[in-house]
Amino acid sequence: MTEERVVGVGAGALGLGAKELATEDMILNIGPQHPSTHGVLRLRLTLDGERIATAEPIIGYMHRGAEKLFEVRDYRQIIVLANRHDWLSAFSNELGVVIAAERMLGMEVPPRAVWARTLLAELNRVLNHLMFLGSYPLELGAITPVFYAFRERETLQAIMEEISGGRMHYMFNRVGGLKEDLPLGWLDRAAQAVAEVRRRLPDIETLIFGNEIFLARTRGVGVVDRETIMQYGVSGPIARASGVDFDLRRDDPYLAYPELPVKVVTRSAGDCNARFEVLLEQAKVSLDLADICIERLRELPQGPINQRLPKILKVPEGDTYAWTENPLGINGYYLVSRGEKTPWRLKLRSASYNNVQVLREILPGNLIADMVAILGSMFFVVGDIDK
Amino acid sequence: MARIPGAGLAKGLAVTLRHMLRRSVTQQYPQAKPELPPRSRGVIALVEENCTSCMLCARECPDWCIYIDSHKETLPAPEGGRPRQRNVLDRFAIDFSLCMYCGICIEACPFDALFWSPEFEYADGDIRNLLHEKDQLGVWAATVPPPPPHDPGAPPPKELAAAATPAREPRAGRDVRAIRPPGSLKREDPS
Repeated sequence: MTEERVVGVGAGALGLGAKELATEDMILNIGPQHPSTHGVLRLRLTLDGERIATAEPIIGYMHRGAEKLFEVRDYRQIIVLANRHDWLSAFSNELGVVIAAERMLGMEVPPRAVWARTLLAELNRVLNHLMFLGSYPLELGAITPVFYAFRERETLQAIMEEISGGRMHYMFNRVGGLKEDLPLGWLDRAAQAVAEVRRRLPDIETLIFGNEIFLARTRGVGVVDRETIMQYGVSGPIARASGVDFDLRRDDPYLAYPELPVKVVTRSAGDCNARFEVLLEQAKVSLDLADICIERLRELPQGPINQRLPKILKVPEGDTYAWTENPLGINGYYLVSRGEKTPWRLKLRSASYNNVQVLREILPGNLIADMVAILGSMFFVVGDIDK
Repeated sequence: MARIPGAGLAKGLAVTLRHMLRRSVTQQYPQAKPELPPRSRGVIALVEENCTSCMLCARECPDWCIYIDSHKETLPAPEGGRPRQRNVLDRFAIDFSLCMYCGICIEACPFDALFWSPEFEYADGDIRNLLHEKDQLGVWAATVPPPPPHDPGAPPPKELAAAATPAREPRAGRDVRAIRPPGSLKREDPS
């Protein structure tokens, strides 16, 4: 190593002692409008040169008061709002609300509805993961993977649109089941779409995953350790990439998950690369689960897909907490009812909210350029943070 | 993973090359129209004749984007009858700049007056032009596709189930002829 020597510091530094030769820290705002923060997340960084000294996520630019709005909506109208906070996992968001309401009502959901819900939730998970599998390389400067990801998304979205009529906000769950029955031949088309996506998913993998530039930008960058994960309540693929072996589909199964062989994907590295890898693996696992669901739906005896509901649905007095494993992590609804047709309180625990808090721990010490890599690998949706 | 430097890049480029030789999946939208499934939520269409202006849709709408005005009209008494009142729909408008496309109004409508249509090409440069009145909503009613048939696992539709159940036998001891035909009984004049 060569020795570092300061030759001159310029006239401006004359008044400084040797210790304060360092420049003044700079405060840099990333966002609320910035291409690397997909959405309106604002980060206030204190920079020491190129290095981040402190980072603070400032949230709330997209706060829509969803929880307060829930209190003046009946249980069908809540679904409209609930599927919008995380617009990439709309189906899973709806699920939590209806599961909470059904539990309070003591309502049993017909088996066909349970399996169809599980199938749609898994397809929704693949859709969500594909979005991030495409957008993350895009943030790192690789533009092609997003086209491949969107082609797969389109295949699955066609399936979702055929059954629910919506491409993002499915609005397909109802208390007691699903809105409508499956169209004729939909299961065949769903199976075909799943097979197609499974066949073409390795394209994204070979395209980017072994790429040296991608590896250089992600490996060993933004490492989160298990301890921090537990302290901040980080969940979902980010937690599993740091070796937290926790998945509600296996550990507190809802819907048809007790009967499904849910493989929980974990990695131990905890860096950006591991997080991307977990996402890729989870997409494959979800496709397998979707196949099992399709097979089961074919075999199930004829039966209804929803319950007949009263004109005015009132949930009995009490409270319950329903949590689901959303694509981005744990999504929970704490429902308090006073026996009226609207909830008295519906607390929303969204995955991204907890997941971005950890940024203040992992960003300091990194370079500005790595911030983009870390931010992208936290897989958040700003609507899910701000609620 | 000690490999030849650049092997990952080369593998990625091989994927690109393979795809360059394949047919593109892109649809040239304005020239080629997308084929949308019948359940597609494009626009809400109104069959005006079926609407009784009961306001259920407007009340159920989560963001109150349906505007209904109506007045009562008294129909002249038919032969041997009495004058009837009915609701006349003056205005039915949906503000698609507020609409969240949830479909609750369509579900709530008890008279089959509202339907989803996959029609989607009504974007406008001015947000105020997204408020569509009943004449435009009626035009869209022509584009409503028939609903898709259901999966074999689904129970038969309730209309068919109702038609399949045999008609009830007249109860024993009850004279069918005693049921009077409509209009056979004169209403007593209160005056």
